[in-house]
Amino acid sequence: MRVVVPFRRGKRVGVVMEVSTTSELPAARVKPIDDVKTDMAPLPAEWLSFMRFLATYYQRPLGETVIGALPPRLKLPRTLPPDAMRFYRRSAAAPPTDTLRAGRRRRLLEALADKACSREQVLACAGLTHDDAASAWRQLVNDAWVERCAPHSGTRFVAPHMPSPAQSAVTRELLASLGRFDPFLLHGITGSGKTEIYLHVIAEVLARGAQALVLVPEISLTPQLASRFEQAFPDTHMVLLHSGLPDGPRTAGWLAAARGEAGVVLGTRLAALAPMPRLGLIVVDEEHDPSFKQQDGMRYSGRDAVVYRAKLADCPVILGSATPSLETWFNASRGRYRLISLPERASPGARLPEVRTIDLKREPPEDGIAPSLLKAIQSRLERGEQSLIFINRRGYAPVLACEACGWSAGCTRCTAKMVLHTVGHKLRCHHCGAEDRIPPACPACGNPDLKAAGRGTQRVEETLAARFPQAHILRIDRDSARRREELSDTLEAIRSGHGDILVGTQLLAKGHDFPELTLVGVLNADGALLSTDYRAAERMFATLSQVAGRAGRRDWPGQVLVQTLYPEHSMFRALARHDYAGFANAQLAEREAAGFPPYVHEAVLRAEAPALDTAIRFLRAAVERFPPPAPVTLFDPVPYLMTRRAGYERARLLIQSSSRIVLQTYLSAWFLPLTEMAPRDLRWHLDVDPIEFD
Amino acid sequence: MPNRPLRRLRQPDLVGVSGPEYPNRIELGGRIVELGALRHTPAGLPVAEFRILHESVAIEAGLERKVNAEVDAIAFNAQARLIASSPLDSRLRVVGFLCAKSQRSRKLVLHVSKVEFIESSPSANADGQNLKGA
Repeated sequence: MRVVVPFRRGKRVGVVMEVSTTSELPAARVKPIDDVKTDMAPLPAEWLSFMRFLATYYQRPLGETVIGALPPRLKLPRTLPPDAMRFYRRSAAAPPTDTLRAGRRRRLLEALADKACSREQVLACAGLTHDDAASAWRQLVNDAWVERCAPHSGTRFVAPHMPSPAQSAVTRELLASLGRFDPFLLHGITGSGKTEIYLHVIAEVLARGAQALVLVPEISLTPQLASRFEQAFPDTHMVLLHSGLPDGPRTAGWLAAARGEAGVVLGTRLAALAPMPRLGLIVVDEEHDPSFKQQDGMRYSGRDAVVYRAKLADCPVILGSATPSLETWFNASRGRYRLISLPERASPGARLPEVRTIDLKREPPEDGIAPSLLKAIQSRLERGEQSLIFINRRGYAPVLACEACGWSAGCTRCTAKMVLHTVGHKLRCHHCGAEDRIPPACPACGNPDLKAAGRGTQRVEETLAARFPQAHILRIDRDSARRREELSDTLEAIRSGHGDILVGTQLLAKGHDFPELTLVGVLNADGALLSTDYRAAERMFATLSQVAGRAGRRDWPGQVLVQTLYPEHSMFRALARHDYAGFANAQLAEREAAGFPPYVHEAVLRAEAPALDTAIRFLRAAVERFPPPAPVTLFDPVPYLMTRRAGYERARLLIQSSSRIVLQTYLSAWFLPLTEMAPRDLRWHLDVDPIEFD
Repeated sequence: MPNRPLRRLRQPDLVGVSGPEYPNRIELGGRIVELGALRHTPAGLPVAEFRILHESVAIEAGLERKVNAEVDAIAFNAQARLIASSPLDSRLRVVGFLCAKSQRSRKLVLHVSKVEFIESSPSANADGQNLKGA
C-alpha cells in the first residue's frame, strides 16, 4: 500500500510494510499518515519479503530499497491519473502497409500488426524513440488509422519453428518443474536455440494462468527480440521494462505487472524488481552478462536476486548462457542448479566456426593487422561475404603522446589517459566524460609532432579503408550509434547484407544474426590475459565466444582469427576447441587455489574523497572500529589502480569469508557505525558480491 | 604567410644553457633524396619528413676537401606542403635548427623553418609562396 507521510517540512511517499498497534517510539513522535493512495493494487506479500531480503543481503536501508524499486511516477506523492496504460490497434480504416511510402508512419503501422499494443511496444518493435515517432503517431491517430482498444488477455502461442528433438527434450524437462522452485542452468552454445525453448516454456506458463519474467542484458533488448515475443504471443499483454523508457510508460508497465495483467514482462535488470503476483517462471538470458549487476545505489545482481525470488514464488528459474558465469557453473557443478546442455546448433547442418590464433611474433602486423587476417578479409571481399573486425576499444587511439619529452594527454580529473577521437576532433576521457581540444603542440615542450599511440575502432576503420578502398566499411561503436534507433537501423542494414567490412566493439557481439558474415577477426584480445582483474579472462572468453558465434550461422562455415602474442595460452586453446567446460573448470581450479570467488564470499567497502588520505583513513578506522570475527578476513585498505576518477580519489577495502552467513552478520553489524564515522567530504558504499575492481 | 601566433610554453622549464648566446641555427643547401608522403598531426598540422643530401667542397686544415652529408629533416605547415609537393631531387636551401629525433634516440633531425628552392639561376626568394611549380 502506497501512502504519503510528512517528512521534515515536506511530504514523502511511503510503503506500508506491516501494521502494528504498538511502537518503540514515544507516542508524541509517531506521526499520522497524510494520505493513503488507492491508485494501485496493494503490493503482494511475496514482493515485500523480496524487498526485505534485498535490503538485508545488499546492506541497504529497507526504505531506500523499496522506494528505489518503485517506478518514477510512484515515487511522487501525486495521485496517478486513472488508465495510465492505453492500448492501440490498427483500425479498419488503415490501408495495407505495403501501399505506403517507406517511413516512420509505415514502420509504426507495421509494428502495430493487428493486436493490441501499448504505444511503447509499438515504438520498441519499430525501433523508434518517442520524440522521433511523435508527429507520425499524431498523424496516425488523426487519420483514425489506429484506435484505442482493450488489452488482450489471451494465451495463444504461435510457435516460430518446429522445435528440434533436442529443443523438445529440454522443453519437456523444464515443463516438468513448473509450479515449484527449481533452478536450472541452460548451457547452450550460440545458435542452439535457447530463445525458442524459453518461448515454449512461457507458452505453458501463460496457459496455466501465470506470469513469466524474462531478463536480458541491456544490449540484447532489441526491437527484434521484442517482436519475436510479440509474434509468439499475439494475444498476450506484454510489458517491456528498461531504464530507457519515459516515466509514464515505465510506470504503466510496472503497474500492469503488479496487477497481474501482464502475462510476460521482458526487461533489463530493473524488471527483476517489478511485483508479479502470479509469477510462474523466471528466465535470465545471457546470465553471465555483467550488466545484471547494478553499479550504484543498491548494488544488487538482478540474476542472483531472481533466484531467491523464484524460491519465494515457488517457481522455476532458468539461467541461460553459452558461457555461464563461473559462479553459476560452480553452483551447477555442486548440484545447486540443474544443468541442461545444448551442445549443438539448432538449424540442421549449421556448424560452429573454425577458431584459429594468429601469432603476432611470427607475423608482424601492418598498422595493427596481421597479413593473414588482411588476406582473409580480401578473400571475403572477392566472394561478396561480410567480415567483422572486433576491437573492444572505441576512439582513434587510446593515447596521444609526445615522443620528444614523454608527455601524454591525461585527464585532469582521473588517473587516466585521454582518448584521441578523430571523428569530432576531440580528446575524451572515457571514465568521466571530460572533453578537450587536441593540442596543436605538446603543452610541456612545444613539439607539434604529437603521435597517436595504440589503436581503436576509428583508426582500424581508417587503416582498412586505405587498404581496401573499394570496400564499404561500417563502424559500429557507442560513438557511431549514440541512440538505440541508430544502432538498430545499422544492424538491420548489416543483416540485409549491407557493408563489406564491419569494425565494431562488443555492441556487435551480442545476439545479432548476420547471415552474410563468414569472417571474424579479433584485435587486442591480449589485454585480458595481462589484467589484474581475475575475472578478465572469464569475460574475454565470453565475449570472444559470442563474437565467434556471429560467424557463419546458416549454411556457410565461419572462420574466426584471433591476433595474439600468446597463441599457446589456455584461453585461446579452449576457445578454438569450443570447450567452455574445460575452460571453466580450469578457471575454477585457479580460483580455488587462489582463494577467490566462488570459493569465498566477498564484499568491498569503497570510499572516495577529494584527497586519498581521507578515504584511506576512513577505511582504516572502519577496520579498527569493528574487528571481524575469525572466519571473516579484512584486507588492508588500498588505493585503486586508477586512483582518481571524476575528481575523487578512491580506495577500497576487501572483505572475504568462507561463510556467507557470517559475512552477512558481520556486515549488518558494521553498517551503522560506518554511517556515523564517515566525514562530510567522503562518499562510501558497501558492495556485496562485487564484480568490478577497477 | 598566415602563420599562427607564437605560443608560449605552459611551463617554461628550460634550464641551463638557453638564450641567444647558445645559437642553434643551421643553414644547409642540397637536394631532396628521400621524401615521405605528406601526413598530418592529430591536431591537423601538415608534416613532411624528408632527407637532404648536401655535397660541396670546403676548406679544412688549409686544404680543399669533399663534403658529403645526408641529413634527416622535418617541416611543418606551409613548408611541409611546399616540400611534399616538390619532386624528388629538387634543389633547395633550408634554414632551421637541430633537435633530437625523440626522447629515446640521440639521432638528430633538422627542423626546417625556411625553404628556398634553387633554380638553374640561383635567385633568392624568402619563403616561397610563388616558388611552387618553378
